[in-house]
Formats: sequence, structure tokens, C-alpha cells
Amino acid sequence: MEILWIIILTGYAVCVAQSIFALTTKRPVMRKPALIALAIALGGHTAWLFLRGLRTGRCPLVGVQEMSAFLSWGLVLLTLIAYRWYHANALQAFIFPIVLVLAVIAGISPGPSQPAPVFSNSLQSVLLPAHIGLLLLAYASFFVAFGAGVMYIIQERELKHKRFGTVFYKLPSLDTCDAISSRAMAIGFVLMTLGIVGGVWYSYSRYHIYWQPGPIEIFSVVTWLVYLIIIQSRINAGWGGRAAALASIVSFVIVVCSLVGVRYLGHGF
Amino acid sequence: MNIVLVGLSHKTAPLEMRERLAFAEALLPDALSRLVDQETVDEGLIVSTCNRVELIASTAAGADRGIACLADFLSEFHQLPPDALNGHLYRHADADAIKHLFRVASSLDSMVVGESQILGQVKEAYQHAINAGTIGRVLSQVMHRSLSVAKRIRSETGVAQNPVSVSSVAVELARKIFEDLTDKTVLLVGAGEMGELAARSLLDAGTGKLIVTNRTAERAEEIARKYSGGAVNFEAFYDVLPSADIVLCSTGAPDYVIHPAETKRALKFRKKGPVLFIDISVPRNIDPRLADIENAFLFDVDDLESIVKANIRERQQEAQQAEAIIEAEVKNFVEQLRSLDIGPAVVEVKELLSQIVVSEFKRNRKRLGDLSAEQEAAIEAVLIPALVNKLSHPMIVHIRNAARDGEPSQMMDELRKMIRIE
Repeated sequence: MEILWIIILTGYAVCVAQSIFALTTKRPVMRKPALIALAIALGGHTAWLFLRGLRTGRCPLVGVQEMSAFLSWGLVLLTLIAYRWYHANALQAFIFPIVLVLAVIAGISPGPSQPAPVFSNSLQSVLLPAHIGLLLLAYASFFVAFGAGVMYIIQERELKHKRFGTVFYKLPSLDTCDAISSRAMAIGFVLMTLGIVGGVWYSYSRYHIYWQPGPIEIFSVVTWLVYLIIIQSRINAGWGGRAAALASIVSFVIVVCSLVGVRYLGHGF
Repeated sequence: MNIVLVGLSHKTAPLEMRERLAFAEALLPDALSRLVDQETVDEGLIVSTCNRVELIASTAAGADRGIACLADFLSEFHQLPPDALNGHLYRHADADAIKHLFRVASSLDSMVVGESQILGQVKEAYQHAINAGTIGRVLSQVMHRSLSVAKRIRSETGVAQNPVSVSSVAVELARKIFEDLTDKTVLLVGAGEMGELAARSLLDAGTGKLIVTNRTAERAEEIARKYSGGAVNFEAFYDVLPSADIVLCSTGAPDYVIHPAETKRALKFRKKGPVLFIDISVPRNIDPRLADIENAFLFDVDDLESIVKANIRERQQEAQQAEAIIEAEVKNFVEQLRSLDIGPAVVEVKELLSQIVVSEFKRNRKRLGDLSAEQEAAIEAVLIPALVNKLSHPMIVHIRNAARDGEPSQMMDELRKMIRIE
């Protein structure tokens, strides 16, 4: 493992510990050290992606290592945006552990194993990374929606059972959880739509067909439809509260299950 | 220099006594200037609230005289015989006085531990004293530190964290469900006094709109007018239910007036998230089975009160932590005050030593023979101060140690005697 990854992983590990500690104890603890650790880890993380891009002369979105690195990087960014908008500290405790796991995968993976794809024109060299990057960011958004959904369900249970522990006071209000979840889902949906459009365009430009029905393609469309239905019912039927929170959780579980399924089923990603 | 404090609070004196001894705001400037007019008092400050009166002063006449002076002032100012206050006053000096003030400002001595009003009142009292010109070097430090200790305790411990009254718990619950209350609607069912109070605390917390319903329509309209809300027919309750976010129920009915089946049907029309039901009536007016409805959250009086109790317990636990902070801060601050106190002593020692060295130099000047002007200047500007510093250093260390142990004046007397033996 590179020394840079050791620094990055240490930084994220500190953030994970702090965010969970902060959620389960009464006082805000170690805010400053965690912030510094996050700044170092994110800086290192960004630098790694940048350097990898420089060294290979392409977007760092090829292979498990680069994809995990990019996905976890996107998750951190989205968490920071969510914090900026909603000041919900608690969300970090739900997202940083996954960031750490993804970063570990990236850190221990061997370097670029797959050869870089060869493009026949410059449009393709933009479309493929855009397709992959947008989809990865979409999944990161869906994960944020999932995390906020989990917070909603926990908070809802505490309220229903009239149990007011430390976690109750640390979690944001139901409305905030709902707002984060629905906004993250909407952002994810837009990113996914753009990502799919990019993919279709790339496919046409390269193979002169719009759509090649493989497991991953079918899965993408199904995911897209699931989120479309959820968002549509949220907007038109005024669907909210517990059901919407559960939907954000279930739909993400579907995403993960199918991603894993697709990976072992066929040609992977 | 001593810091003395005399006062009474809800813990030591009944309300009538506190009322008699309170200082009305208009009288404060006069009271403050009369307080420091006395020979014994150098600086003075008065904190007067409905729960306490505290007189704080710095004095050079010794702690006992300072305390006696404050107690006399309190009874004289309010034209009471001096023994009328016996048994109601507490008297503190130095570290104890500072500790008491820290505890008061941090709301550890309050009736409701952790309430936030007292800090503002202490700040105001400080401002009054500044305006009256009765604050000097010592008390301004004491007050600054009291305020910063209070802030530290509020942020580092949970003494002020959770609400401890039924209506503030209701507001807290509303905030835990709806982040922003400004676009939310309260539906008040039953226009009794209790219900009105609870509705008012929700409106004070920023809730946007109030709808009132009551068996007698006039009373509902009266309250609706008072809070610029709307009134609806009691029979139309389930029709307006979908538009309400918080339902506050407080009727005198002997039985349930809000039923789960009808509520469930009504909430189908509500295309928004959760609804908060608060039942503060005894006997209960909302069927407890309502809690099983999705997105409906029901709390009755017992729930609210058990939250209050748990929060009070929590605050008491946190208060122990706060006490430990106070102990440490007092110790720290007293040491700091004492080391400030040795400033004049250090100057005095150096002065005495310098006099000796200079006079010896002059006396023996001839023996040194001819000196150039530069040499002479160097002796005066460099050698003499260096000698004085070298000689005084161990003495200053002694003074500082003595100050830390609390007996700097005795030590100074000893030193003066030593230096003057020529």
C-alpha cells in the first residue's frame, strides 16, 4: 500500500471514530481533530485521483481501485454538501464507515490491472468516463438518501417508543432527514439519467448501437425506473414520512444487490 | 485585597424577604454608588433578580469587615433592622465568594438548574456597575471570568441541554419532528387555560398558524382572535385535521374525543409527512391507539412529564461535572489573582534593593578612581539594574510562592525587615 493511502485511511478512520462517538455521547467530541483529519484525508484522496489521472493520461475511473477511490471521494463530497445545506452532523456517522471501507478497497487493490480502453475519437474519450463518473456519483447520492432514510427510521422509532436517548438528541428532525433523503434521491436521479444518456451515446458512437441488453444495462434501467417511481410518488402523491424513508432504504438495497449480482453474473463493470 | 460576597436566594429566604431586599433597576445606580461610598468597599456590584440578591465587593480592609459592611448596607438600604436578615444571608469571602459567583452565573444555584436567564441577569448587573463606575481592576476580572466559566459550562456540560417544563418539552418534540415550525399549523382542541398556554408556547417558538376548536364556539373565537388564528366548528374537527401539523388536545371531556379510525381516514387526505398529537387533558381525550397510525406521533401528559423528569435527572448528573469544572476554575483563578496581587510587592523589593545599591555606589565612588562618562553611565544603566535583578530574583520567587499559599503580606513584612537591616 502506498504511503499516501495510509495517510488517507488514517484520516478517514479518525472521522469514522469521531462521528460515531459524537452520535452516541452527549457532548460534541473532538470536532477539531476530526475536521483536520478529514481535510488531510480528502486532500490526499483528491491528490491521489489527480496524480493517477496525470500518470495514466486519462480519467481515473478504470478498474476496481479507481472506481472505489472515486466513489468514496464522491461520498465525502456529498456528505460535506449535505452538511452545508442541513447542518446534520449525524449523517457522517452513517456515511463515513462506507467511505472508509471503499477507501480500504482502493488502498489495498493493486494498481491499474485493466488496460485503458482505446478510443477511436476524442468524443468517446469524454463520454465513457462521463458515463462511469456520473453513475458512480449517482450511486453515492442514492447512498446518502439511504443513510438519511435510516436516520429517519431510527428517529421515528425513538419517537414512537418514547425513548429519548442520546441518539435521539443527536439525530436531526424527521423533516430534515426526509429533506436530505428526497433531495439526495433527486440529485442521484438526475446524475443517473445523465450517466445513462452518456452511456447510450458512447455505445452509439463506438458500436453504432444504442443499447446492448446485458445484465448491467437491464439492471441500470430497472434501478432508474425504481427511483423514477419513488420520486414521482413523492411529488405527485405527496408521499412522505415513514414510507418514503423505507423506500429510500429498500431501493438502495436493491441497487447494491443487483450490482453485486451483476458483478458475479456476467462481465462485471 | 479580599473579595467578599453577601446574599440571599430562594434557598435561604422566603419570597417576601426576597421582595423586600430586591434592588429595583431604577434604584441600582444610586445603590451602587452608595455601596462604594463606604470606606471599606473599593469596588461593588449588585445582582438582583426575583430569586436572589447578591452583593459583591472588593475590599482592602479584610474579609470580615468587608462582609459585615455588605450585610449592614443591605439592611440599611432597605431600612430594615440589622437582625431582621439573620439566618437568611450567606456570607462568602475570597475563593468561596468566587466559587459562589461562578455557580450563580453558571445557573448551578438556580431553582431550575441550567436555566439561561441568570447569565443574562448577571451580565446586566455587570453592565449596570460599569455604568455606575463601581467596577475596578479586581471585580472586572472576577466578572469576566464568571461569564466565561458560565459559557464553558453551558457548552461543555449538558446542564442546559434538555427542556425541563411540559410546554418546552412539547416544543422540543415539535422541533424533533418538524425542523422549521414557521410553516406549520397548530390545531387546538378545547380552549381551556392549559391548552391556551401550551398553544402559546408553540406560537412563541415560531409556529405559523393556529386553528381553534371548542364545544362552545364563542370561547374558540375569542382565543382565535387573541392569537390571530382561525376558529372552526367542533363537529368539523376531522375536516380540518388534514391541514394541521400539531394537534393539541385539552378539553374537559370525560372520555376520548379523538378516535383512531376517523383520524386515520382524515389523515389519508393529508399529503404530507408526520403529525404530532399532544394530549394534555386528564382524563385523556385522545385514544392511545392513535399512536399505531403511521406518521402519527402521540404524547400524553405522562409522557411529557416523564421526559421532564428524565431531563431534570440528566441535568443533575451534568451538574456534578459542572461542579468539578467550577472547582478547577476557582483554584486557577484564585492563583491568578494572587500572582497579580504581588505586582506592588515586587516593585517595592526592587526599589529597596536599588536604594541600597545606589547609595553604596555613591558612598564608595571615590575609591573607584577616575571613570569616563561612558563608564559611569554603564554602571548606572547596566550594572546596578543587573545587580538589583540578581539580588531580588530569589526574593520574588519566595513572594510568589507565599502568594500561592495565600500569605504574601506576612512574607513581605519579613522581607522588608531583612532588606532594611543595613
